Amino acid sequence: MKVKVISRSADEFTRERSQDLQRVFRNFDPNLRSQEKAVEYVRALNAAKLDKIFARPFIGAMDGHIDAVSCMAKNPNHLKGIFSGSMDGDIRLWDLATRRTVRQFSGHQGAVRGLTASTDGHVLVSCGTDCTVRLWRVPVATIMESNDSSDMSADPLAVYVWKNAFWAVDHQWDGNLFATAGAQVDIWDHNRSQPVNSFEWGKDTVVSVRFNPGEPNLLATSASDRSITIYDLRMSSPARKLITRTKTNSISWNPMEPMNFTAANEDCNCYSYDARKLNEAKCVHQDHVSAVMDIDFSPTGREFVTGSYDRTVRIFQYNGGHSREIYHTKRMQRVFCVKFSCDASYVISGSDDTNLRLWKAKASEQLGVLLPRERKKHEYLEAVKNRYKHLPEVKRIVRHRHLPKPIYKAASLRRIMAGAEKRKEDRRRAHSAPGSRPKEAFRKKRILQEVE
Amino acid sequence: MADEKRKSGDENRQNKGRGFNNKKTKGRNGSKKDNREAKRRKGPGLPNALRKELDLLNPTTHPSDGSDSDADVAAPNDVYEYEEGIPEEESKKNKRFDPVENYEYELPEEFEDENVASDDEGNEEGDAVEDEDDGRHSRMLQGITGLPGDAFEAKKENDFVISEAYPESEYNPSHDILEGDGHISIQDLLDPLHGKSGFSKLRKNVNRMEKKSMSLNAPLPRSDQERLERKAAYELSKKDITKWEPLVKRNREAPTIFFNEDTDLGFSTVGAIASEFEPRSDFEKKIASLVNDNEIVDAHRKDGARLLELNKISVEDVKDQQNRLAKMRSLLFRHELKAKRIRKIKSKTYHRLLKKDRLKATAVATEMDPEAAKELAMKQEFKRAEERLTLKHKNSSKWAKRILERGLNVQDDGTRAAIAEQLNQHALLTRKMNSMKESSDESSDEDDSDDILVDSDQDGPSAMLKRAKEKTVEVLEGDGELPKSGVLSLPFMVRGLKKRKEAADEEARLALRDYELSLKQLENKNEEESENLHVSSGRRVFGGTKKQVQESRDKINSDNYYGNSDSEGDLEAMEGVDDGRGQNNDYQRDVNIDPDVLRDESEIGHDPVFKNFEDIVKDPGPKTTYEVAIFASNSWKKMKSSSNVNEQTGVLNEKISDYSNIRDSELKDLDMEGDNAGSDTDSEVQMVNGILSSGPKSTYEQPSQEELIRRAFAGDDVEEDFEKDKDEILNEENPEPEKPTLLPGWGQWTHIQRKKGLPSWMQEEHDNAKKKREEALKKRRDAHLNHVIISEKLDKKAEKLHTKTLPFPYTSKEVFEQSIRMPIGPEFNPATAIGALNCPEVVKKAGVIIKPIKYKDINPHERVEDHGNRRQKQLKSKNKGKSNKEMKSKGLEG
Repeated sequence: MKVKVISRSADEFTRERSQDLQRVFRNFDPNLRSQEKAVEYVRALNAAKLDKIFARPFIGAMDGHIDAVSCMAKNPNHLKGIFSGSMDGDIRLWDLATRRTVRQFSGHQGAVRGLTASTDGHVLVSCGTDCTVRLWRVPVATIMESNDSSDMSADPLAVYVWKNAFWAVDHQWDGNLFATAGAQVDIWDHNRSQPVNSFEWGKDTVVSVRFNPGEPNLLATSASDRSITIYDLRMSSPARKLITRTKTNSISWNPMEPMNFTAANEDCNCYSYDARKLNEAKCVHQDHVSAVMDIDFSPTGREFVTGSYDRTVRIFQYNGGHSREIYHTKRMQRVFCVKFSCDASYVISGSDDTNLRLWKAKASEQLGVLLPRERKKHEYLEAVKNRYKHLPEVKRIVRHRHLPKPIYKAASLRRIMAGAEKRKEDRRRAHSAPGSRPKEAFRKKRILQEVE
Repeated sequence: MADEKRKSGDENRQNKGRGFNNKKTKGRNGSKKDNREAKRRKGPGLPNALRKELDLLNPTTHPSDGSDSDADVAAPNDVYEYEEGIPEEESKKNKRFDPVENYEYELPEEFEDENVASDDEGNEEGDAVEDEDDGRHSRMLQGITGLPGDAFEAKKENDFVISEAYPESEYNPSHDILEGDGHISIQDLLDPLHGKSGFSKLRKNVNRMEKKSMSLNAPLPRSDQERLERKAAYELSKKDITKWEPLVKRNREAPTIFFNEDTDLGFSTVGAIASEFEPRSDFEKKIASLVNDNEIVDAHRKDGARLLELNKISVEDVKDQQNRLAKMRSLLFRHELKAKRIRKIKSKTYHRLLKKDRLKATAVATEMDPEAAKELAMKQEFKRAEERLTLKHKNSSKWAKRILERGLNVQDDGTRAAIAEQLNQHALLTRKMNSMKESSDESSDEDDSDDILVDSDQDGPSAMLKRAKEKTVEVLEGDGELPKSGVLSLPFMVRGLKKRKEAADEEARLALRDYELSLKQLENKNEEESENLHVSSGRRVFGGTKKQVQESRDKINSDNYYGNSDSEGDLEAMEGVDDGRGQNNDYQRDVNIDPDVLRDESEIGHDPVFKNFEDIVKDPGPKTTYEVAIFASNSWKKMKSSSNVNEQTGVLNEKISDYSNIRDSELKDLDMEGDNAGSDTDSEVQMVNGILSSGPKSTYEQPSQEELIRRAFAGDDVEEDFEKDKDEILNEENPEPEKPTLLPGWGQWTHIQRKKGLPSWMQEEHDNAKKKREEALKKRRDAHLNHVIISEKLDKKAEKLHTKTLPFPYTSKEVFEQSIRMPIGPEFNPATAIGALNCPEVVKKAGVIIKPIKYKDINPHERVEDHGNRRQKQLKSKNKGKSNKEMKSKGLEG
């Protein structure tokens, strides 16, 4: 006869060290546990509340500029370094860990409008309203840390004078070229004092330029004639122009999806486009209450950060219609430039109040080293919260943000206006012949024309 | 612009003078025609040289002539003529403006109009508007050149000027060629060459070309060209960028993307770290200088002769040493070879012989030296004694105890080996002792485990059989106790155990019969002997077997522990058969004194006690049981519980309550089975007790089904009940508005109110509320379903747990509910599954730079098959430490 006895060997339950966890055996039979859904719901609720409690996104401000910060550039090869240029012609290299200036690059006579660094992080390119493009050597990280106060300023590697003022500059990924925007788009080589190529399509000033990081020969610009233009360097010709109803202030390509880019528009919205189908936006990201000044994608390609003239910074999902996060402080003025850090965990904003501000990309994230058990717990809470995010209580807590009064009021005003417009449109439609006023999607409404 | 202004200024000045002239000439001129003729007559009197000079002096006059005149022609037609003053720049007022160099001809400032008397000009009456300008102009020229105005009149004829952008040449055909039909053909060009050398050849070529010629289209306008170019460029880049699509799609669909694998730790190996080493302290530097000394390094690299020199040792010594070493090495090598050869020999006999030789050699050694042998033996003996005394190697040391406490399985191999070694040692050291003991006393083997064998030797097969029988009986009997609590007391468990027990009993009984048969045979053989033996050693053996039983009890318990049942029938049946039972009872009496066995005995003796109770229960007679049977059946109770006296009384009590309850519950318990005619007890008896029913009610007629149902539901109106219920629920969910009541003292003070009745507003409110309620009732989903109640009660607490609408990515309610059905927590899932369940969408690591996507060719169709276990694969790859190549961002390439 088969004998079945409960047998547990002591060594399975004995801890090797006193810090070890006691081993717990559980019966995972769902019939024995009927309350798990309720338990997890409550956990999700608590996780959402805890997230609110621990949401302290602001890490610190970096002050030193004496005029508004107009542009920033991150060092693609060094996580801690970030460059910032200001309206008085000052360029600074910051160390994010210590939040101090490491190096100053002085030489520009007017405002610095564009900054970018080469992919290897050795060369910094700046341009400004003084019609010059300046190339600087970036100090090596180790030297930077050792003697931080000895030699604060540097001389440019090269100064290229050109015939028009510049508005923006961007460096090609893994290449030797960079593009400047001004009266026209110029493609430069590091070693040549004159542009290797120039594009001009229309007579209006080009205000921003961005290279596609995945596809290094594509670049997109936006101009003051409310247009977004795509250029292809291989064909050395512009490819397509899209004219919208309002001006686009900045463009950012998705680093993980080379066909998609998002444009920060004057009309408070951001529009994600597929470069192949420009007749409609893929997604409209709305929440800002004033012009969006700058945009930068997270290196994960899953979210992007925007800075706006309404004095806030917002973080959007790449496919989300509304922002997932809003950052603001009492003293932060108009935000002119924003950047996502290269490891996708920090956000840097530069604003009119001459400061750079460092934020966490996830407001309630715990900084520092996490123990594996801690990390697992965080992951579990996140997963549970994500699972029950549709339930009203959880949703309410997760979505709630405390806003500054002007922004709150402006947002509600905008809502009212949008509602009124919609009502009017509906009535017009109701009183006209059926089919004579087709409903136009908002994704298409703001696009005027696609020019070949 | 500037000079135009200036000119107009000049003209003004001239006009002033001319106005005076006109007045003078009005009367003189006869007609316009005359004047013309006169002018013509004069002809172009201006000499060529003079004209040239004039051109030189005032180059602007000539070309701007036409335009000036045009402007002046138009001006008089207008009513108002704008007169521009001298621009401030030119007036040089206060010298506020910088002097601008003017290279054009300027009239001197002190210039004054000269009144030249002209004989025929003065009397032109009709020289009104058109001629005025011409006259003015000619007069100006006159004034300048001093020639008579007629000299300039001829110029008027070919006043028409064609302005050409380019100088005339054969490349730019002149105006009249373009205008007229003067096409220039190749023939025209060839004609002048006629007769020259090579002309015929040229003409031939030209003819051939003409035959084969095709016209080229004119190039498109530049803007169109550019547009086409852009279009082509866009199409190309579009096509090129589409290659990313499968990659992007895969990343988007992946439940998790990993960015944390591309960690560059800098140095990976010790060698890499060492190669970066730089000496800093003095000591390190000294060492480095020695290590990196070129001489020494060179010497090392060569045969080492130079090293010896550096060491300052004599060469001979070293050579000696080397020779010795070489010799040793060769010897070793030889020995090794020999050993290898011997080892290779497969013959067993050879090896055995070899071994014997070796043993012999040692034996000889001991023999040769008896002292040594003795000492060896002594040593061995001492060791054994010591081991016996201390049990040093028998896991009694502190270390061994600790290891054993922790469990041998968790220890590493070395520890286990050490423990085994120790035990081995102990066995070795004590083996001899055992053998010695056996030889010394053989009788005292009480403790030995195999005493049964010894017993069996003494008692023979009969005893063995007896013991076997006893054991079987034990098994049969030892089941009195029932588990009173826990899982095993559950009815189905009890049932199962009972079944098993019965099977076992059956087997045991068969075995018993066998034993008896064989026992009888044996008894026939040697009766006396066995009896004697039985008596003499009976007690002891019995005790022994008792112990045996106790030991084996554990085993029996293991399967029979739960299998106990109250099958007293079995026991009684067995009592008849079993003749060892008497003995058993005796034994009980015997052992009752023994406190040791009492515990066991109580279990065995349970049955008799049990039986006693049974008797007590049965004693009151059949009447009681009969009644119990009747009334217990009503509440679905069985007589099996009657084994307990207390319970019996409980049932008796129940009887009374049941009896009173029956009439009350008759109507209510519609679903109680077997209650057709609940009102009469006789029929109930009939239903329950088959024996009773057969007797007196033999003529009973079976009623029809409808009749039965009608009778069954005679007392209650289900439909009405249902309607009542529904009304109640409706009232609960949509409560009826309260009827307005008159409160004395409210509304009006006087008795008027009572006469008037309720105030109108109150009435109205009430009506409204009523109307609202009716509407709400109409809107209910069960408004038209008479036999259905659909509750529309809102549970506010449950409301929190529902979404108002279906969340976005889901297309159906079922899918959404399915997605949140299984819990994901660590309490509800095994540890192996949690990682995959809780994995976030993006796994990244702070401090790791994420590079943009890098192109990698993937097959878009392969993905479909492994869709299901993708997550698992990813996990696997993560565990392996392999990175997803497509997500792995670019490595450093610069």
